[in-house]
Amino acid sequence: MASSFELTRNITVGQYLPTGSIIHRLDPRCKLAAFVILILGIAFCGTYGSNVLALILCTALFPLARIPIRYGLSGVKPAIPFILILAILQLLFYGKGFGTGGQTYFHYGFVTITSDSLRLVVVSAMRFVEVIFLSSVLTLSTSTTELTHGMEHLLMPLRKVGFPVHAFALIITIAVRFVPTFALEMEKMMKAQASRGAEFGTGSWWRIVQRTKDMFPIIIPLFNVALKRAEDLILAMEARCYTPTDERTTYKRYHASAKDVFAVVTSLVIVAVLFAIPV
Amino acid sequence: MSDEREPLIRVEHVSFGYTMNDKRTLPVLRDISFEVRRGEYLAIIGHNGSGKSTLAKHLNGLLVPQQGNVWVAGMNTKDKGLRKEIRKCVGMVFQHPDNQIVATIVEDDVAFGLENIGVPADEMRQRVDEALQMVGMFAFRHRPPHHLSGGQKQRIAISGILAMRPACIVLDEATSMLDSYGRQDILRVMRALHQQGMTIVTVTHHMSEVVEADRVIVMEAGRIVMEGTPRDVFQQQERLHELQLDIPDASRISQAVHRVVPAFSGTLIRTDEVVEEVENMHLRTLEVHGG
Repeated sequence: MASSFELTRNITVGQYLPTGSIIHRLDPRCKLAAFVILILGIAFCGTYGSNVLALILCTALFPLARIPIRYGLSGVKPAIPFILILAILQLLFYGKGFGTGGQTYFHYGFVTITSDSLRLVVVSAMRFVEVIFLSSVLTLSTSTTELTHGMEHLLMPLRKVGFPVHAFALIITIAVRFVPTFALEMEKMMKAQASRGAEFGTGSWWRIVQRTKDMFPIIIPLFNVALKRAEDLILAMEARCYTPTDERTTYKRYHASAKDVFAVVTSLVIVAVLFAIPV
Repeated sequence: MSDEREPLIRVEHVSFGYTMNDKRTLPVLRDISFEVRRGEYLAIIGHNGSGKSTLAKHLNGLLVPQQGNVWVAGMNTKDKGLRKEIRKCVGMVFQHPDNQIVATIVEDDVAFGLENIGVPADEMRQRVDEALQMVGMFAFRHRPPHHLSGGQKQRIAISGILAMRPACIVLDEATSMLDSYGRQDILRVMRALHQQGMTIVTVTHHMSEVVEADRVIVMEAGRIVMEGTPRDVFQQQERLHELQLDIPDASRISQAVHRVVPAFSGTLIRTDEVVEEVENMHLRTLEVHGG
């Protein structure tokens, strides 16, 4: 019971595991770029062979980053129901519309299972796992600060079309900055309410409406607190000369070295290989 | 632009009120005038609702007077174009340690103000390191701020201001959310900065902080009701009591003893002064008895 109030311990966003591996030491811009390339590659290659290879490579990232594989698996665990439901739906309905090619294994009423639709099912389940592994390695090996800096740099070209990159990065930084603060605040309020007899998380999980209602006494004061904090923060930012429209300089500077370029090139090569695998 | 003998901040006949929902204005400051001299340590005290925080926000143009003028190093805070210069000159530390830290890493937060005023990256690194060393938080520069104590967070906020190299720091009840260790920490930092020539304005209702100041302004219902050195102000015990302000223990004890033992000074305000006075009295008695 006590642990259900300790929200700060349950936050997985930005759960950074500093092991100092080669993956950790990559330039965040290059790491993020390589990540995007690999995700796109995985999203578009649809053969058994390429996905088996991709799964092996994604698993291999864990020892390379010196992160225990169980971190990746614990990310997959909550996704299993989604993967299963998706697989069942795809198996039932894909045979008709998308995967009409190949051999027909089973046909009854509106359900048609072909070799193509079966491949789609297996491949999309594998993709799920690959993407979770990849993003786990990314977030476990990169601090949120590095991630936002990396993103800010990668988005820089968008400034040419008038996209407020600095402001966008600042919004994300502030959001991340206040996650633990609000978690603590919420913890405090839950304890205060619980000490006066309110119950949280004791209703059965299928009584979603009731459980949502239970949260109202927390959510509304939390909003109140958030607005107050926002007001203070604006004053503090203004006092430190923040003007959204003005030209700013940036403190953090990154220098991409050979190994960072190598990482991006490697990811491109991997994607090329994935596409080249015929079956 | 500014003469060295000219006061750093000049507040001239300032009045200010908040507009309520029903269009009435609630007067908060009524015809306030005072000066902040270069290099001085000024304390503004008053109980809740006396207008002291509103006054503090006038000192760097966060609020602009409805009547009267505030001049910072010769610049009027009503001039929108000078606002950045004014805020570079007068930095402000706020009450809540959590609500003024912007970044996820300590050194990034200290750099925030510098990024805003367009300091080049190389100079920025040097200034951030310097500012963190001044408040003794250099070792924490790569830490996320939410793992720090309240006092440490306030020191980060102060170093974020110091990095901008202001002429004056305004502390708007910056110690009121801290425990006594945190408060001592901040007071130590402020004392060191003052010795290096920084102008300091502290808004507080803790009398122990007022003792540190060169000059005190006491506020009540939007007006300045008393002004002087801490020693002078603390002498007027009844007046302070009327204003619901308590005086430091050392001062109370000194006055209580003085009433019974007239030889004992009644104008002491710090603990160490009381100890010294007792020591002196003791020595004098020894001399009398010995002689």
